[in-house]
Amino acid sequence: MADNPQTHYLPTTTCYNDNDLTGDANMAKRVLLCDDEVHILRAAEFKLKKAGYDVQTAADGLEAWEAIQQQKPHVLITDCQMPRMDGLELVRRLRSAPATADLPVIMLTAKGFELSTEQLAEQWGVKVVMAKPFSPRELLQQVEHLVGRSIGSEQPRAAPV
Amino acid sequence: MIAVWAGNYFAPAGWGTAQIGTLALVVFLAGCALVFVSWHFQRQQSQANRHLEVLARLTPQDLFADIPAVVLPPLPPKHPQAAAIASVKEVLAAHLRRIQDLEHARAALEVRCRRAVAQCEQIKAIFSYLAEPILAVDDYNELLLANRSAEELFGFESAKVEDRALARVVQCQRLVDLLAGTASRKTPGSRTEELEITDAQGRKRWYRATAVKLAAGDGGEQRGMGAAQGAVAVLRDIGDHKALQKRNAEFVSAVSHEMKTPLAGIKAYVELLADGEAEDRATQEEFLQLISGQADRLQRLVENLLNIARIEAGVVNVNKQPRSLNEILEEALRLVRPSAEAKNIQLVSELSPMYLGVLADRDMLLQAALNLLSNAVKYTPEGGKVILRSQTDGHQIRFEVQDTGVGLSEEDCQRVFEKFYRVKKDRDMAPGTGLGLPLAKHIVEDVHGGTITVESKLGEGSTFAVILPRAGQSL
Repeated sequence: MADNPQTHYLPTTTCYNDNDLTGDANMAKRVLLCDDEVHILRAAEFKLKKAGYDVQTAADGLEAWEAIQQQKPHVLITDCQMPRMDGLELVRRLRSAPATADLPVIMLTAKGFELSTEQLAEQWGVKVVMAKPFSPRELLQQVEHLVGRSIGSEQPRAAPV
Repeated sequence: MIAVWAGNYFAPAGWGTAQIGTLALVVFLAGCALVFVSWHFQRQQSQANRHLEVLARLTPQDLFADIPAVVLPPLPPKHPQAAAIASVKEVLAAHLRRIQDLEHARAALEVRCRRAVAQCEQIKAIFSYLAEPILAVDDYNELLLANRSAEELFGFESAKVEDRALARVVQCQRLVDLLAGTASRKTPGSRTEELEITDAQGRKRWYRATAVKLAAGDGGEQRGMGAAQGAVAVLRDIGDHKALQKRNAEFVSAVSHEMKTPLAGIKAYVELLADGEAEDRATQEEFLQLISGQADRLQRLVENLLNIARIEAGVVNVNKQPRSLNEILEEALRLVRPSAEAKNIQLVSELSPMYLGVLADRDMLLQAALNLLSNAVKYTPEGGKVILRSQTDGHQIRFEVQDTGVGLSEEDCQRVFEKFYRVKKDRDMAPGTGLGLPLAKHIVEDVHGGTITVESKLGEGSTFAVILPRAGQSL
């Protein structure tokens, strides 16, 4: 939080949301975590909060969708298989709404061969797919890359495709 | 007397009576000899004639009955026609033997022919009713033969097909190519291919087609009948096999998903602890608790998998003792309560106030009850209700789990106890391996000699009922 976020804020195209306060140097970046497993939420939330993020959680796709309508996060981290609305459906919905068409998404899933990373990236713009079991440290790094901010010695890198 | 008179009359003069008498005797004897000789020749002639007549009159039936030997005494060996007649008879006998041989051969052939026709009919019937579709083509890849099953699959009638080019009869290019390829091969040997065939009703079905070359040189009999060169293909329905493969793949995927989720928790908290992220004692304690909880979950999953594998393989150690069913059910309720509360589901206990004795393996029956209860909680939306009841029913004991959940269609009711089966529309409602209900069924039916049934209405909820034999009072 001590470093200057001014140089790393998101591209302006994602900032037309009224609620978006990316430009405010003193505001923490918002991360929305979506998973139906409480223990996964807790672990990721703990790591990200300690790193200074403003973390919100949702138990399924529908809850996440509603939360995003309230306030757009800077990054969405979502599971794939969830009750009511799964991660894929959530991303589909987000992409069809102009306000969230380019919301950075990390998919954190225990699914294996039935998910095509390429298709997720190309068709749905899911920039990062992380497999469970996951390392909270790595998750944090991916979030850092996506919101274009670094902490400690790490240099900011271009966001992955 | 004549000789005497003739002697007297012709005798030269000077002969005495004695001389004349001698002469007369000689003449008489000569006459007798003459008569005898002529009689003898006549007899021989008539004997020969009779032989010839009999032979001439013989009918084929007589020949078979060997009549000449019976009705005709053999000619004396010195009879002048004996040789001729004997050779005629020999020729006849030879012909007779030949005719008899031919007759035997003909009869044998007739039997073989009849048998062959019967066999052919049988084979035709078997061929036509074989469940596997079979198609044969000639060198020009034109349809030679197809059984009923093949006709039904591709929707044609062999007898009515005018353009017999297989490509026009069968709407599956890969099968046409397979047959054509096999027919044009120089060497025998079969070729196999898995094909997805769209049947006459437009359904897609998987078949394994095995094609072998039909060669004209296969046995002499076939050659005479202008047997075909070409190929024959037998199609084996592998839909079940494919479905099983798919279900197995889904199962492996589900199991790995189910294993990775708790594993993810364990690894994440271990990392957080190792990185020193949990600074205060309480957080450390919390993380350790979470790790322990997820490890337990993983263990339960592995046990479930092993249990079902063991029961299916028939290698379980069952420890059945008289138990109180209510006690087991209460324990199950206690275990499932946290997940019900997390979903704000009302867990109602309507256990019988009576002691319900069952002869049961406690751990296994607890597992079955737990699976039914957690299933009900999983597939009941928030704010719903799950009721556990127990009661006696004559010599039987009944317990049931009723929920206000999503319910099951009629098809799902029938299939829900199948291993790995998961109701498609509810699949994403809760994680699962499709093992809980099959395991419960195994435990109730195979281990405890009871029955498990389900009644359900879509959208209104389901009731799973278990009936167990009551343990005798003496136990």
